[in-house]
Amino acid sequence: MEALGRAGVFLFQSVVGVPSREGWRLWLHQMHFVGVLSLAIVLVSGLFIGMVLALQGYTILVDFGAEQALGQMVALSLLRELAPVVAALLFAGRAGSALTAEIGLMKATEQLTSMEMIGVDPLRRVVAPRLWAGFVSLPILTVGFSVVGIWGGYLVGVEWLGVFEGSYWSNMQANVAFISDIGNGMIKSAVFALVVTWIAVFQGYDLVPTSEGISRATTRTVVYSSLAVLGLDFVLTAIMFGGL
Amino acid sequence: MTDAPFIEIEELYFSRGDHEIFRGVNMTIPRGKVTAIMGPSGTGKTTLLKLIGGQLTPESGRILIDGQDVHQLSRKALFTLRKRMGMLFQSGALFSDLDVFENVAFPLRVHTNLPDTMVRDLVLLKLQAVGLRGARHLTPAELSGGMARRVALARAVALDPELILYDEPFVGQDPISMGVLVQLIKRLNQALQLTSVVVSHDIKETLSIADYLYLIADGQVVAHGTPQTLDTNQDPRVSQFIHGEPDGPVPFHYPAEAFYRDILGEAPVK
Repeated sequence: MEALGRAGVFLFQSVVGVPSREGWRLWLHQMHFVGVLSLAIVLVSGLFIGMVLALQGYTILVDFGAEQALGQMVALSLLRELAPVVAALLFAGRAGSALTAEIGLMKATEQLTSMEMIGVDPLRRVVAPRLWAGFVSLPILTVGFSVVGIWGGYLVGVEWLGVFEGSYWSNMQANVAFISDIGNGMIKSAVFALVVTWIAVFQGYDLVPTSEGISRATTRTVVYSSLAVLGLDFVLTAIMFGGL
Repeated sequence: MTDAPFIEIEELYFSRGDHEIFRGVNMTIPRGKVTAIMGPSGTGKTTLLKLIGGQLTPESGRILIDGQDVHQLSRKALFTLRKRMGMLFQSGALFSDLDVFENVAFPLRVHTNLPDTMVRDLVLLKLQAVGLRGARHLTPAELSGGMARRVALARAVALDPELILYDEPFVGQDPISMGVLVQLIKRLNQALQLTSVVVSHDIKETLSIADYLYLIADGQVVAHGTPQTLDTNQDPRVSQFIHGEPDGPVPFHYPAEAFYRDILGEAPVK
């Protein structure tokens, strides 16, 4: 509970206030580090997951003669669940662990302390740009994951297994709702983005400044983030689609 | 310039876990002078600098810098106060993602709106003073420990602060750099009327530049005065430290059970 309280104060002090021109520059730099550099792993994963979804879905749907619903199945699975959750898990492993290790090493080598003594608040200069970059970049990565996943489903379902192309796209268009499917998926992604990045930067900032402390904090980031994403996914799904 | 002390430390108590670091420390750091804080290893000299800088909070007592109680300030006010300070860290604490030039330029870039040409001139002046103008393009990873500390010194004085806290400035310096640094600290102090607090083990160098000296041991100030008065102080703790004597009231060994018991696990055989 004490750590949660510290994390709450930490989050408030990091995000409160208007960013300066320098703050925008640092944010852009971090967008590249946490967002652009995560693009490859997220897109490649999205492609394979879309392909697997189509393959598995086809083998079930074809038994009922419903393979024309493949596009709808792939799109809904990705938009509602798989894209926000898997992208967040990948993001925690790729960017979250790197953020924790980077901030932790800065703490261990007294760079954060020296910044404080120069009169620069590390929460504003180091933490805030990373927090905002994570919050903005993960939903964008999730969109990319979904788009590539749907294309992967198309490659397997239409190009390989021979599902009629018109059915694939028109069923998807007819059955995917912008607000309840795409919108809810993006809300999930935004929540996961905040939680994962918050955990990552806090673990880095709050760690014991030793090599073992950095190692433990990095592990905690991935474990806590993964559990938080999966747990929150159930809660959000229950609220959004479970009629709670 | 007022004669009021720049830093006043009153009845300071601080512990780490069960270990008491300070037990009622009182100090007055005069304005525009070099004050040295000395004492055996592990007595909390670096901790004291962190308390002065507001990075640690005491259990009780207060620290006033130019009349402001450091630990009662809001976060924003504390950062404003720190703009008037510079601190040289034992490790250098340079920003690893910036080269030497940008490390020294950092305080100028974040706290001033000076044009790039002026920032460049000021940075080169500071680097020239520490003898590392030619190393401006190196990264911190390419510097030796002594060089890193000299770059850190250039960064600490980049904004010409009113107060500079030096944490072991002479460690790891070769004799030439050591001599230059000693002179530099003294000259900076005299030319800019800075208030300097130097934490150091190097007695000869520190005594040569300090105007006033505090000796701390066992969580308290055991002696203070000018270098001349401490040099002739008869207190065995002071004498042992100042003259570097192995035997005396300050133990060389960290507290532990009897050596023979640790080795043999029993009482000594007669």
